[in-house]
Amino acid sequence: MTDYTYQSVLFAYLLFFLVAGGAVFFFVRSLKDGYLGPNSEEPKYRMLEDEPQLEETQPTGACAPRRQS
Amino acid sequence: MPGQLQVSAARPYGGAGSVSPVESIHEDTTAKWFLLSAVSYFFIVGIIALTIAAKFVWPQLLGTVSLLTYGRLRPLHVNGMLFGWLLAADMGLVYYIVPRLCGVKLWSEKLGVATGILWNVIILSAVVALPMGFNKGWEYAELPTPISILVVVAWVMFGINIFATIASRKYEQMYVSLWYIMGTILWTAFVYLTGNFAVLVTTGVNQANLNWMYIHNAVGLIFTPVGLALAYYFIPRASTTPLYSHKLSMVGFWSLAFVYVWTGAHHMLHGPISQWLQTIAITFSLMLLIPVWTVVYNFFATMKGQWYQLSENVPLKFLMSGVVFYLLTCFQGPMHSLRSVNAIVSKTDWIPGHAHMAVLGAFSFFAIAGTFYTIPRLFRTELHSAALANWSFWFFMIGGLGFFVTLWLGGFWQGWQWNNPAIPFIDTVKALKPVWTVRFFSGILMFLGITTFLYNIWATVLDAGSKTSANA
Repeated sequence: MTDYTYQSVLFAYLLFFLVAGGAVFFFVRSLKDGYLGPNSEEPKYRMLEDEPQLEETQPTGACAPRRQS
Repeated sequence: MPGQLQVSAARPYGGAGSVSPVESIHEDTTAKWFLLSAVSYFFIVGIIALTIAAKFVWPQLLGTVSLLTYGRLRPLHVNGMLFGWLLAADMGLVYYIVPRLCGVKLWSEKLGVATGILWNVIILSAVVALPMGFNKGWEYAELPTPISILVVVAWVMFGINIFATIASRKYEQMYVSLWYIMGTILWTAFVYLTGNFAVLVTTGVNQANLNWMYIHNAVGLIFTPVGLALAYYFIPRASTTPLYSHKLSMVGFWSLAFVYVWTGAHHMLHGPISQWLQTIAITFSLMLLIPVWTVVYNFFATMKGQWYQLSENVPLKFLMSGVVFYLLTCFQGPMHSLRSVNAIVSKTDWIPGHAHMAVLGAFSFFAIAGTFYTIPRLFRTELHSAALANWSFWFFMIGGLGFFVTLWLGGFWQGWQWNNPAIPFIDTVKALKPVWTVRFFSGILMFLGITTFLYNIWATVLDAGSKTSANA
């Protein structure tokens, strides 16, 4: 039997570095897009809105419940 | 008052109040396909699970019919639960939540239905192939190669549909569930390809190491991220309470992304792999406590002032119990990756106790909650029986606790015995019989949970069908 251990391990490493490289790229991009910035809490209110209807979609943040301070 | 909300009470089971009379933009045919298939496979594979649990107590059960031996049924149970029930349910729920979080329709409902049909072909092929002995021989990667190739094709179809939907989203900033779902799709591709194909052409220690990387990351990089995506969606939705911190959830996502992949080698501690690789696996296993705590703290803080909802809200009961099990299982994981603890619990019954708490106690609880939440909404009706849903919860909870705790105690006991060379191995097997008896009866309770869950879901769907016919 031919041993393809090194080729396979290199293939696994290649996939790993592709995934890790993608993770680094998107992590940096998410920082640029403000995911850890002052507006980063907006999606958690939007996801509580009712789903869009055929007639008209609701404006973002219009009826989202908010905690009272 | 802190934590008080300006919203009406949650409607955990859908119903008239939760469904607008205006037609939704979502067709949801794919979500229905996946969810109803998954619930049905949950029941069928539950029978297999109970059978193999009984075989531990009565080894002569079902005689020597090869199709029904433990070695044939166990892979069917594992693959049936992982791919037939849990991943199918997760995919169905992803098809439900992604279009809603993006504010658009699913990119292609036809492609989604085709994926659902292919997924059913895969599971039915496995149901035939595994009992007949067609098996690659690798744990969690038992499916024969042609079926594994079909899994890859189905996953690519799933990935294209979900990524295309997200690409066409209405809102620029994505909710954390979308990040976890995208991570799941990419990580599964990596984990599944290496675990099912690269492992076939390696040898020796490298082969074993790749297999353990696959096994551990099948839970850590497939079921964990998609399970958390569901929890991040359904906990706020079921409780109508905003998530405590979206920023913290993103910290948790990125720390999971960078930490998890290195941990698989902790299954080979004290084995023939190099010491530095063992130490890296231990170090990253301990670092897992960071993403875990960000997740658990976020959910507990979200529920502050809302715990009273658990008395009436069964999806929320499943969700928050799942969070507690997630915390426990993720505390166990790093602890038994320590060399001293690992020397006792490795390869013992502790491990199935731990794995079942992750896959059943945490991620299946999230999927069950999501199914209870979505099915009434998908079929524009109310849940058939809220009381029966509550019974399902307690069957799963009591059965699950009996199962997990018994196996942890039994595993420790087994490990101490194995570390004593004066005890013959067969005596350590005989000593575990009481443990396996409790496991079997706990399994009956869990199977009752599955049965009531299946009945409730199908009765809801059939009730909706009869109401539609009556109105027509």
